[in-house]
Amino acid sequence: MRFINVILCRVTLLLCFVVSPALHASDDPLQSPMWDYLRNVFLGDTPYQFDDRIVVSVPPFAEDPTQVPVTVDATGLSEKIEKIVVWADLNPIQHIYTYYPLKDVKPNVSLRIKVQQATPIRAAVLTKKGHWLIGTSYLDAAGGGCTTPSVANASPYWESHLGEISAKKFQREAFGRYKFKVVHPMDTGLVDAIPEFYLQQLELRDAQGDALVKMDLSQPVSENPVFSFDVTQPSAQHRLWLRDNNGNEFEQPL
Amino acid sequence: MKKIQCLLCFLLVGLSYSVFAAKLSYLLEPQKIADDTWLLQGKLEDFTRKNGGNIVNTAFIVTEDGVVVFDTGPSKRYGEAMRQVISSITDKPVVHVFNSHHHPDHFLGNQAFNDTKIWALPETGKLIAQHGNAFAENMYRLVGDWMRSTEVQLPTEPLDIAAVPLMAVGKHHFRFFKMVGHSGADLLMLDETTGVLFASDIVFYQRALTTPHTPSLSVWIENLEQLKNWQYNTIVPGHGPVDTTGLAVEQMIDYLHWLDNTLTAAASQGLSMNEVMALPIDERFSGISLTRSEFVRSVFHLYSRYEEASF
Repeated sequence: MRFINVILCRVTLLLCFVVSPALHASDDPLQSPMWDYLRNVFLGDTPYQFDDRIVVSVPPFAEDPTQVPVTVDATGLSEKIEKIVVWADLNPIQHIYTYYPLKDVKPNVSLRIKVQQATPIRAAVLTKKGHWLIGTSYLDAAGGGCTTPSVANASPYWESHLGEISAKKFQREAFGRYKFKVVHPMDTGLVDAIPEFYLQQLELRDAQGDALVKMDLSQPVSENPVFSFDVTQPSAQHRLWLRDNNGNEFEQPL
Repeated sequence: MKKIQCLLCFLLVGLSYSVFAAKLSYLLEPQKIADDTWLLQGKLEDFTRKNGGNIVNTAFIVTEDGVVVFDTGPSKRYGEAMRQVISSITDKPVVHVFNSHHHPDHFLGNQAFNDTKIWALPETGKLIAQHGNAFAENMYRLVGDWMRSTEVQLPTEPLDIAAVPLMAVGKHHFRFFKMVGHSGADLLMLDETTGVLFASDIVFYQRALTTPHTPSLSVWIENLEQLKNWQYNTIVPGHGPVDTTGLAVEQMIDYLHWLDNTLTAAASQGLSMNEVMALPIDERFSGISLTRSEFVRSVFHLYSRYEEASF
């Protein structure tokens, strides 16, 4: 009997060792319970590494959970970038946007988002060589941003101004910055009786219609979003094009 | 033997918890700042579980006809502690309570005064009815058990300043003013008998001002310019030490101008919100507590308006 006990004990111990790498906490510096799951969703089962050169800036606290500024700056990377996927681990809808820098842009994007609770914010960069590099930041919040009705729902203003774009070009040190605001409710679909209604696609195009930047947007992008992009040829003519999930298209020369 | 040790251990742990729980008392120390006039000065801090939300100034004036209270603090426990302080100083009953505005640290002590008239501007009453519960919930999150049993107790008497600009209680004559710069509805009370101005959160001193509900910085500056012309000798800010020199108002105007200019300049350069939050704060404000965290909050509250204006 004793013998069997000892054997059982050893088998259990051995099992522990075998299983523990799988159970062991991931290499996520923020130890998020969602990391492994979401990494698999957005990156697939491929190698990756965390990289401090990708700077994800968020405020220390989400004072207004419906308008939290998030800046992703990957200009510190020397590698060429295929795309950047940005998400919030603990949001009910995690994906925020995917950004494709195609030409004449610096990979530095600012916009504002809705958050439902304190959460890690991730920016996963896929380089042209196929490496995944992850920038990350922790955002503290009291919550409620995704399930609050948009301001638009309390006022008919948006109905006559949907898709109106205000834009401005700023001269920064050695580049230009576009900032633009689009009137759109960006409803998440998580509020009772308000269906989802949000901008899904964005392109910054040159005079020939070729895109400098493409973006796929998701519901957590804030109402009446303000985007900012940095371009390396600020003197060129550009246009902005957007489409929402109802098929409305908006286009404006900048 | 082991069992006894265990038991002792449990007892000790239990004891330490109960001792810790008993420590949640505000230890309010009344400062006499003028004849019959007492101030309970809050800490120059943000809300924490250590300070229980005691970051606010409350005050009371002891008249022959009873006690007048200006603001009731952040919790029921605070309101009760305030009442104890009052009864340690006078046997007179509390006859009038005023809530300066609808921010939680100024009215959540109202429950301790539910046997008296609680006055507030009509707009303040509406705002408390609308947002009070959310504010209270947020306070539970921020300071925890100090808030126990705290609930929103609405002001009972709408104060119509046009009809009642002046109120006499005992020998004290109180004059009321409505401003909007800090919260949209800010009640200021001037005791003409002592020359003490209870300035509400229109004035902060040595503690960075907060902007969650300001209509605009320029409106706030106008309010302060107006206030400079009034007759008073002592100013009781909503947060920070009493001032008799006029420096408090100067500091406010100086900081508001700086904030306004900084946000305007940032928007005209196309800075993103996160870049603005990281901007340096002028050296001359380094003596003011919480400048960085309140600056970041102000960028949150205000920058989109400046951005909008730059398009």
